[in-house]
Amino acid sequence: MSMKPWLHGRKPGDRRVRVERPHAEFFRYTGPGTFVAREAASRPRTSTGRAIERIRHALFGRPLSIHEEITERLSKKKALAIFSSDPISSSAYATEEILRVLVLVGAGALLVSLPIAMAVALLLIVVSLSYRQIVRAYPSGGGDYAVARRNLPRIGSLVVAAALLLDYVMTVAVSTASAAEQVISAVPDLASFQVAIGVVAITLITLGNMRGLRESGNIFAVPTYLFVGSALVMIVIGVFRIVVNGEHAAPPSPLPGAPAVPEMLGALLLIRAFASGSVALTGIEAVANGVPAFKPPEPKNAARTLAAVAIILAVLFIGITFVAYSFGVVPIDDPVRRTVISQVAGIAFGDNSIGFYLFQTFTALILFLAANTSYNAFPRLAAILARDGYMPRQFSFQGDRLAFNSGILVLSIVALALLIAFGGDTHALIPLYSVGVFVAFTIGQSGMIVHWLRERPAGWQRGLAINLLGCTMTGVVAVVVLIAKAPTSLLVAIVVPIVVGVMLFIHRQYQASAGHLAVREDVVIPPPRREERVIVPVAGINRAVIQAINVGRSIAPDIRALLISDSPDEALAIRERWERQLPDVPLVIVESPYRALVGPMLAYLDVIDQTWPQGKEQPVTFVIIPEYVARNWWERLLYNQSANRLRRVLIGRPHTVVVNVPYRRDEDEDAPRPASP
Amino acid sequence: MVGFGHMPESGNPAPIRKAILGLNGGPTDELVVHLGCQLAKPSSGELVAVHVIEVDWRHELSEEMTDENLAASSVLDLAEGIAERYHVKLSGDLLQAREVAAALVDEAIELGADAIIVGLPYRKRFGGDFAIGSTIPYILQNAPCQVIVAREPVPSSGERRESREPRPVSGGLGLR
Repeated sequence: MSMKPWLHGRKPGDRRVRVERPHAEFFRYTGPGTFVAREAASRPRTSTGRAIERIRHALFGRPLSIHEEITERLSKKKALAIFSSDPISSSAYATEEILRVLVLVGAGALLVSLPIAMAVALLLIVVSLSYRQIVRAYPSGGGDYAVARRNLPRIGSLVVAAALLLDYVMTVAVSTASAAEQVISAVPDLASFQVAIGVVAITLITLGNMRGLRESGNIFAVPTYLFVGSALVMIVIGVFRIVVNGEHAAPPSPLPGAPAVPEMLGALLLIRAFASGSVALTGIEAVANGVPAFKPPEPKNAARTLAAVAIILAVLFIGITFVAYSFGVVPIDDPVRRTVISQVAGIAFGDNSIGFYLFQTFTALILFLAANTSYNAFPRLAAILARDGYMPRQFSFQGDRLAFNSGILVLSIVALALLIAFGGDTHALIPLYSVGVFVAFTIGQSGMIVHWLRERPAGWQRGLAINLLGCTMTGVVAVVVLIAKAPTSLLVAIVVPIVVGVMLFIHRQYQASAGHLAVREDVVIPPPRREERVIVPVAGINRAVIQAINVGRSIAPDIRALLISDSPDEALAIRERWERQLPDVPLVIVESPYRALVGPMLAYLDVIDQTWPQGKEQPVTFVIIPEYVARNWWERLLYNQSANRLRRVLIGRPHTVVVNVPYRRDEDEDAPRPASP
Repeated sequence: MVGFGHMPESGNPAPIRKAILGLNGGPTDELVVHLGCQLAKPSSGELVAVHVIEVDWRHELSEEMTDENLAASSVLDLAEGIAERYHVKLSGDLLQAREVAAALVDEAIELGADAIIVGLPYRKRFGGDFAIGSTIPYILQNAPCQVIVAREPVPSSGERRESREPRPVSGGLGLR
């Protein structure tokens, strides 16, 4: 510690000295032998590093300490807004998906849109009842993955995990695509920017999440309530006009260019329409994933919130479908896409009215929010999988802003790729969406069946019956969606097993390496008994070499320098100087008439290994590589190329430790000069 | 128990924008830091934890008192840890002086502090009492700002019987 100059007090003789605390800038002492690194300790030390850091801070904000992690508990009202944006936003496109199938058959087919919506709503009620069981049985959260991991064989939980990861990716792609369509429905001039709008939205959401955006702020609650409120107003106006004013629907016309289909409803089309409408259920699992975020009593509050989400979703979905059917609304793709919900809004509020534009804005906002919910769920699930050893470990690392950056980036890249590949078309993306969700639902419910049978708590029969019904229904829907939405949906049947296979492969790798590295806990580790020897590859005598030799001397007395030379005369001259200046360190010269460096070096190491006495444990060979520290990027091109090559081939060689001894140019002045001629 | 000195005329302590916390590695340090944080937090005030190492006349004032400095530095670090939990800004200031009280007052003047908070430990030996010593009276008489004296809680009669020395706070930083 050093002192600053004396400070004078009010009275003569009242002097004091401020003592500098050099560690204080970088560390804070917290207990014997324990320090906490301050932000300054993580600051880059090079000018380039500092410049990059400034850019990162401008983009993502200053680094956050782990103590700054938001651990806010959510009230039911706030949780409803936060967890419902994903499921409720699906009401913006679920009706349209039903109508897109039915309209192919003809105007009369639209009649069944309402019964189909009701059937989907019934399924929604069963699924939400099933999830209430999960919420109560697994208050620590984690949803389907937690249930499957606890109750099913490993493969089951991995299938759920893969399906959920896919679900989250699809939520981003579908929600942003749909949001872009809502924007275009309001402002048709932007039609040519449909994909660009989605790309910009995903990029902004990515940046926001890498800055550590959290869903707990009011900013996330307001758009959800605005959408729900305005959608309810829209439905009430629509129903009023139908029931009270007795307004009649204009006869719906088939889509321009639609193929001629007989005026009969086949069972297959009904099933297809139902499968399309079941997309309304996507996101309903969000509450079960986030039970710990609720205020106590968490399970009770989460279960109530889940019920409220299901009721709101069912009302919106049936209401929008009813108004759309009554007014003969069908999706319009030509000349510019107009979504069903935007047409319903046009009917209720008046096309180009302020109400219409506001509703379209709220719809787009809730869809963007729905995309954002995946940015919370996907990286967290990936982090859990990484901690379980099924995904690369970097997925469990939190970045500067406490966000799981790897998960966020992967999510964004895959979602962007899908959005671009499918031209930002929600309808084209949805078949991929539903299958994964229903697979996760089904396996989660089967996990709950095992849970009830195994645990048998009070009232287990009721829980078992609900989950059995939920499992059967979602299982049937999963198969139906898979078949009805083929061939696109079959992609999921390929992707999920591939993801599971990759997870298993990663797990096996990690387990194998852990097995190799494991140390028995009951063993006291003795000091090493193996002999050590040091080899310093040299090209002559210079300060870097001498520094490396000195480091080698501190490691083991068995030290030798190795010169690989393609010039015998030069080698002899070096030997003569070496023996004069470093007489206690033997120099081995290997002449290399083929001018190779690395090969003869490795061969020499192999030979000295082979000449080691049989039956005696091989020594540890320290290869000490002198290295000149480059000060600029261009100096890095000029120096150390041979050293780098040598290091690359030596790393991983048995019984060999590679040591770099960097020599800094500014050590010239400080270091005592070696005896030089 | 907290005593106030140099109170504003209204009778209520003014909001604290900057306060000096006098720490000495003794049993009242935590109390002083907690109190400082609670008083500074509402007004987003700033705290400066000051540890003064008293250097006797046998030594040069600027002589490096390595062991004492390391121990004192750890006291300041622990104070920062407490303040971090309150989300209150606290910086540590390590001084060497002949008189602790004068150094604290001079530091408060130099930093423009509007309060000095010091602790008064309860002496468990000799039947137990509060020995006010010379530091607190000096500060009370000379500080140009509020002075808050935080009294260590009086132990129960059972605890009082267990005569014990004030716990020293760590022997150093482990940086040597």
